Amino acid sequence: MNPTLNTWTWVIWLSSTLVVIWSTRNPIYLGLILLTLICVWLSAATRINKQYPDSRSTIPFSPVRISVFIIFFSAIFNGLISRFGNTPLFYLPEWIPFLGGPVTLEGLAFGVINGMVLSGILIAFMTVNLTLPARSLIRLIPRAFYPLAVVTSIAVTFLPNTTRQVDEIRESQAIRGHRVRGLKDWLPLIMPLLIGGLERAMGLAETMTARGFAGDEGKPLWTRSRVGLVFGLLFLLTGWLFQLIPALQVVGIITSSFGLCLIFYTLWTVGKRVQRSHYRRETWTYLDMFVIIGCALILSIYLLPFLWLDKSSIAYNPYPIITLPQFDILIALASFMLVIPAIKKSNSNSDLHNQIRSDD
Amino acid sequence: MISINNLTFTYPGSNQAAVRDINLEITKGSFTLVVGASGSGKSTLLRCVNGLVPHFSGGILSGEIIVNGLNPVEASPKIMSRHVGFVFQDPESQFILDQVEDEIAFTLENIAMQPEAMHAKVGEILELLDLQNLRNRRIDSLSGGEQQRVAIGTALSLEPSILLLDEPTSQLDPISAQEVLLYIKRLNETLGLTILISEHRIERIISFADNLVYLKKDAAGVINGAPRKIIQMIDLVPPITKLGMALGIKPAPLSIEEKGRITQDYKIHDIQRASNQMRENFESKICLEIQNLQVELGKNIVLRQVNLTLHQGEILALMGPNGSGKTTLLRTIVGFIRQNEGGVYLFGKSTSGMKVAEICRQIGYLPQNPNSLLFSDSVAEELMVTLSNHHPSMDNQALEKARLEVLNTLKRIGLQNQQLAYPRDLSVGQRQRVAIGAVTITSPRILMLDEPTRGLDYAAKDSLAKRLEEWRQAGMAVLLVTHDVELAALVASRVSILDEGKIFACGDPSKILRSSETFTPQIAELFPQTDWLTAQDALSGLRKI
Repeated sequence: MNPTLNTWTWVIWLSSTLVVIWSTRNPIYLGLILLTLICVWLSAATRINKQYPDSRSTIPFSPVRISVFIIFFSAIFNGLISRFGNTPLFYLPEWIPFLGGPVTLEGLAFGVINGMVLSGILIAFMTVNLTLPARSLIRLIPRAFYPLAVVTSIAVTFLPNTTRQVDEIRESQAIRGHRVRGLKDWLPLIMPLLIGGLERAMGLAETMTARGFAGDEGKPLWTRSRVGLVFGLLFLLTGWLFQLIPALQVVGIITSSFGLCLIFYTLWTVGKRVQRSHYRRETWTYLDMFVIIGCALILSIYLLPFLWLDKSSIAYNPYPIITLPQFDILIALASFMLVIPAIKKSNSNSDLHNQIRSDD
Repeated sequence: MISINNLTFTYPGSNQAAVRDINLEITKGSFTLVVGASGSGKSTLLRCVNGLVPHFSGGILSGEIIVNGLNPVEASPKIMSRHVGFVFQDPESQFILDQVEDEIAFTLENIAMQPEAMHAKVGEILELLDLQNLRNRRIDSLSGGEQQRVAIGTALSLEPSILLLDEPTSQLDPISAQEVLLYIKRLNETLGLTILISEHRIERIISFADNLVYLKKDAAGVINGAPRKIIQMIDLVPPITKLGMALGIKPAPLSIEEKGRITQDYKIHDIQRASNQMRENFESKICLEIQNLQVELGKNIVLRQVNLTLHQGEILALMGPNGSGKTTLLRTIVGFIRQNEGGVYLFGKSTSGMKVAEICRQIGYLPQNPNSLLFSDSVAEELMVTLSNHHPSMDNQALEKARLEVLNTLKRIGLQNQQLAYPRDLSVGQRQRVAIGAVTITSPRILMLDEPTRGLDYAAKDSLAKRLEEWRQAGMAVLLVTHDVELAALVASRVSILDEGKIFACGDPSKILRSSETFTPQIAELFPQTDWLTAQDALSGLRKI
């Protein structure tokens, strides 16, 4: 799969999206953000469908459907659980444990807002997962954690297989008339899944060993690195404890900083030892630049204290009585900045442009 | 190149050696076929050559192995991976990344090969295996044969001089299998790679091999030598060799190319099949009827206007290439997939609105992977579970009756001595029998089997064929989905060919199998002017000149 943007651009976009979603509870802004995220997802899905029409696992489910599902259930759940709010819609009998009492409009509205936040986070992750191939995810992990990178890639490719296996087992047991009635009825589903998963994990580990991925044993520097990491963490923790005592705050900051430096130095030296080359070289394009500028803009608008901008509309709370959320055109426009990754490039054949093979 | 002396290996926790007293010399550039019954130690032997055994598996190894001057036990698999490439059985489970080119490059990135050299190497491998057009494809969008070629490509990336392949075609249809085997032969001829390949379907590959290693039963050593010589001494033989041996031709022919050795001395006196399974079953009751069935999955039409009938007391073999819709058809019949058009009728009654459990009381369905059914602690319990699923509240009398039914089913599937064994500890063939028992204990009148011969040796296949024939004679209707041409030739009353979701042909096996380029049994290829499909047919119809 060839992402249209640099991997780091996607990481910046994802981080900015998460920060923005967490910063606001205004349903209008959240709605706009959801809309932009769906646009980005659709653009990515269309491109991938076009690129891999016969792939079996590229697009798992529609973000619109999942958003509607999450928002609906979040609203119902919060509406039934919450007892706050001044606008009761109806009353549930008091004898129903946990649920008895008034169901308020404010409770439902709060649930809708929570659902919007959850959906936004999910769609942002779905988009990045859809766009970035496993190799890009591996690249994100520092070289010092190379084994972790391999594990990540396995997990990414393992997931669709496990989903398929779950379906297979469910069907196989249904053939035998199996139905889930109680806890013990999960055994026929879980046991084959666990055993099958272990067998597949062993199979993959064997494949990797046969391909020369076995670890290097007994290298003395690894012990030094471990000691470095342990001491780094120890200094970091001690520094943090010192900072709790007002008289030792400066010592605490210095100790923590030393701990952090030690951790980074250790990781850097370990990373240097991991010899690895890259088949593809990532490049930066104007579109990457636009996305990053867009992210910087939206983050500034949402997070920085500009005197000329009234940011009270970012916060919103439907309790105790529901009101119309405030609206600021500038903040609304800024929310659209997240849509930039959906912009289609003029040269459509250049999907590979920023994932060129190393010697091109 | 490979020298093995007195090799004996026992897996941890086992009190029986997996391979014993193996003595073997494999010369450089040879093409060696490793055969033996299921559980005879073929995979273990291959894994000893690249050090996966004992480095990965653990266990006790004695004797000596020398590969390219290295002892794999002393050298790690990492070092051995530079000398020996390994291709596994299941194409899907051996990939780490999601794209063809990245997958091949991943091993090279791991050894920090310079980007320019890496690019050249990846290009070379892609060209060697004709994968250039697939370089940017996602691996999960490839066919089984293409995936196996990618797996071979990844195994070749470190330029090994030996390539080991553990049943690489067992999950492929005949076309894909032939394609993969031709590439392996090409690698052997053009690069001089030493090939060691284990395979159950010997007829596919014996003509390529210049060396045959037979692992005796119960780990009692090996017989090794020229295929023509060894094949006379073993019981795992392709149909043409079986025929040659039965006719007393010495040495017996190994492939169709050697048919002259039979036809020069024998003439055809009866072109009819000796064991015509057809038996005009159209007179018998229709058990299952599929009418104008259309199934769409997403935007793809997987089944197009499929019409099919299954009669009482017949075995209908449904064949077709990978991805043609065979499994989808079976899953639609039992109600896992809803049809877009048409209908499925079970004993004249539409299945629409019926629950899966209700349908499966009348249809025993064995899916491709029998392991997904097995979870109980014993074989007997595994069968009992199906009964208690269908009848959740059984009184003492019903329970007693159920126990009796379990014993009868165990006898029927030939596992009465294994009733207390843990199902997953059994051999592939036995596990499959447990699964068959688990789906047939409700005495369904229809049985549907999806690729039941995967991983089965000739003996297990013969045993399955006998069981199918017994069931057929008892009036059961069997729908058999298989790539195994020889099994279909042996047992089928009728054959249907499904391709791209459409039924292309359906009828008498001798007509359908002989007219198909892909699904032609060896005997039909040998005697195209007759109706014969099996060695038995030919033996009855031939007369010495």
